[in-house]
Amino acid sequence: MREQKKKVRLYSLSTCPTCKGVKKFLDEHNITYELTEVDLLDSGEQWLTSKEVKKYNPAATYPTLVIEEVILGLDEEAIKNALGIQ
Amino acid sequence: MTPDRLCEVLSKYAESQGIQLNKDKGYVLEIMEGLLKNESRYGYRSCPCRLATGIKEKDSDIICPCIYRDPDIKEYGSCYCRLYVSKEWNEEKIKHVRVPERRFEQSEKNS
Repeated sequence: MREQKKKVRLYSLSTCPTCKGVKKFLDEHNITYELTEVDLLDSGEQWLTSKEVKKYNPAATYPTLVIEEVILGLDEEAIKNALGIQ
Repeated sequence: MTPDRLCEVLSKYAESQGIQLNKDKGYVLEIMEGLLKNESRYGYRSCPCRLATGIKEKDSDIICPCIYRDPDIKEYGSCYCRLYVSKEWNEEKIKHVRVPERRFEQSEKNS
């Protein structure tokens, strides 16, 4: 099995069909991801997580999918690929 | 109330308003389940596609049908969570787009 190089995080609501659609897509493509069902957190955790979501998506809407790439050292080729630049 | 029964009731309600429920029955049933789950945990049917606080006064704008439904249907043909749609949207005469969150400005001020 190939190694997954990108870190994937999904902020979701357990009641939302669109969120379920994203989960299904990731599962069907065998993507490993960290799932946070924000509505199932207790109120303190929910507040903290909402702040986190707002960093990526100021409207804090769900689903919010974050895909991050980790690049070590000065790997220009990898940086270009990650940023989609020539 | 079962998701199926709620779907029947809301379908008639939508008709009475001159709009329709999304023709994708499976999707609509998922929304019904979400509405019923919110009703049992919060005491009211808040939008299943939005994070509710559980405090009715704070969530009053997103109790389904939300106050944004009509302007969203007018502008995009569907409400935010795509439960209520126009006839033209169901007939695919208008493009299906992701409806932006109208709560944004208000919630930013309150945060």
